[in-house]
Amino acid sequence: MPSPTALIAEDEPLLAKALQQALQRGWPQLDVLQLAPNGIVALEQALALRPDVLFLDIRMPGHSGLEVVRELAEQWPEGLGQKPFPLIVFVTAYDEHALEAFERAAVDYLLKPVTAARLDSTVQRLQTLLAQRSASNQDAQLERALAQLRQLAAPAEEPAAPRLEIIRAAVGNRTRMIPVEEVLYFEATDKYVNVVTAEGEALIRTSLRELLPQLDGRQFWQIHRGTVVQVRKVQAALRDEAGKLSLVLHGRPEKLPVSRLFAHLFKQM
Amino acid sequence: MNQRDTSVPPRLLLLLRELASSLLPTLVINLLCALGVTYLMRIGGSFYENLQVSMCIGLLAMLFINGTRLAIWGDGPPNKLGFLVLIAVAAPASVLLGRLLASLLLGQPILSLVPEHSDNIIAVIVLTFLVCAGATLFFWNRQKLAALEAHASQVEKQAVQAQLQMLQAQIEPHMLFNTLATLQSLISTDPLQAELMLNQLVQYLRTTLSASRADSTTLQKEFDLIKAYLGLMSLRMGMRLSYTLQLPEHLGRLRLAPMLLQPLVENAIKHGLEPKVEGGNCTVRAAIHNDMLVLSVLDTGVGLPTSFSLNQPPAQKEPVIGMHFGLDNIRERLATLYGPLSELIITHNVPAGAMAQVTIPLKMLKAAHRPAKSSRLLDH
Repeated sequence: MPSPTALIAEDEPLLAKALQQALQRGWPQLDVLQLAPNGIVALEQALALRPDVLFLDIRMPGHSGLEVVRELAEQWPEGLGQKPFPLIVFVTAYDEHALEAFERAAVDYLLKPVTAARLDSTVQRLQTLLAQRSASNQDAQLERALAQLRQLAAPAEEPAAPRLEIIRAAVGNRTRMIPVEEVLYFEATDKYVNVVTAEGEALIRTSLRELLPQLDGRQFWQIHRGTVVQVRKVQAALRDEAGKLSLVLHGRPEKLPVSRLFAHLFKQM
Repeated sequence: MNQRDTSVPPRLLLLLRELASSLLPTLVINLLCALGVTYLMRIGGSFYENLQVSMCIGLLAMLFINGTRLAIWGDGPPNKLGFLVLIAVAAPASVLLGRLLASLLLGQPILSLVPEHSDNIIAVIVLTFLVCAGATLFFWNRQKLAALEAHASQVEKQAVQAQLQMLQAQIEPHMLFNTLATLQSLISTDPLQAELMLNQLVQYLRTTLSASRADSTTLQKEFDLIKAYLGLMSLRMGMRLSYTLQLPEHLGRLRLAPMLLQPLVENAIKHGLEPKVEGGNCTVRAAIHNDMLVLSVLDTGVGLPTSFSLNQPPAQKEPVIGMHFGLDNIRERLATLYGPLSELIITHNVPAGAMAQVTIPLKMLKAAHRPAKSSRLLDH
């Protein structure tokens, strides 16, 4: 078995070096391929080098550590002969809320300053997981990462917002009143949300994040970071050769891409 | 909560101030007394004559009572029983003297003022006594009200101050742990650098945490603190951060409130340069323009969010972000300490990034931080 490889994404050069050195002591077989100074480079290099382990700082310029994993899960090539999704270890100095979420989602994480004892136990866990991996299904790793991401994305228990019945959308100088049942899907744009119905489109000045708690979760499904669709308006889900999923709607020509994070919603019964 | 000035004005000054503020109400009361005496009590004499007499009695009583009170009790509250006695003496005395004075002014023979009807004079004395007591109550209430208002404004100032102390104590744990991690890595690889960084961290922590920080600091000290902070950050961010500090030598001893400048520098790093992939420069500058102290923090970072203005208080719906809280506190303190001509402006920097600028009239600055007792003058 070739020696395992790793990528370290950390925006502070001294800390990146320090983690590399600590790993050299605690896991000499591990080959650290590169140090990425920001989230954008981390994503590029992770896709190009396909390391076995990915150490990700949470707060980085470009993309945050979480965003890197989300994008990586989206773009990681699937199928036979492909390398399995990397094992992820988040590295953070202090994030009270994030840590709680990590515990819930059983995500590996290291706290800065990194102590030798904690690093050792993390290394042991990673070694065990790597050994199991070669035996099991190649896609299991990606599924595990996706499950963890779903956990992390799950909203904390919030008091239910009042259900939205009618959407008041601006169309020129008029306010259009749109019953939610008529909405095919919501699509986040720069600062607005585009409300798409069979008749046309209208903008509302709100964010998808604010809108979501006001929608009935059984009727409206999030299928992508920026898309929420009304399930009853979905005619079919299609899978292309690359394994990407997209939705065909009643009464609209366009196909809506489904993020891997939400693909499990459209599995056959 | 002692808000008396350190130098108590002499009692004479106090008396003059008191008299000036009591004059108008006293005149009104005198007028009412003259009306009452002439048309309700009908003790005789024309309204004009009675007005003269009433003015003389009233003013004398006011002078007598206020003068004695200040002489005996000073600025403090008078003893209640003693004050009653004072009024009891002041009333007949000012009636007799007042009548004498009035007759002199009116050019009437003094003899005619010897009362033919003793009932009348007793009624006037009783009236004077009652009016004096009433007027005293009125003035007391007025003073109490003023004291309450002063207290309220004091409480407001303290609230802003308390907020500041909370801000000071809020050292971001994220920043702290990241710095400690860097220190940890340096200890083995570069002990000299580690020591330098530790010194900077200690200076930064000490000044920022210390809740008992003085009301004022000097620009030099403030710049030293910023230098320590930026030094820490540039060690951590490496090539991504460069910084420039510009403090003209003659401004170093200028006094100002602490924590006006530092939060702006931390904002520039945290919201401007840290999130920017390629990093950039932070420039902190002090200058005098048209008798105004102008403090500027410029960064070449990611710039301001376009969606809302940082120069407006946040709308109610918007969550109170840390940055807003800090900026609001700076604005409030500028207004309470240096008046409405001082301001904080957040705007875009050219070609990229943000600029925060604090402007304070020099006059207000020097008035607010006049050195106590010692006559050390600013050499500016």
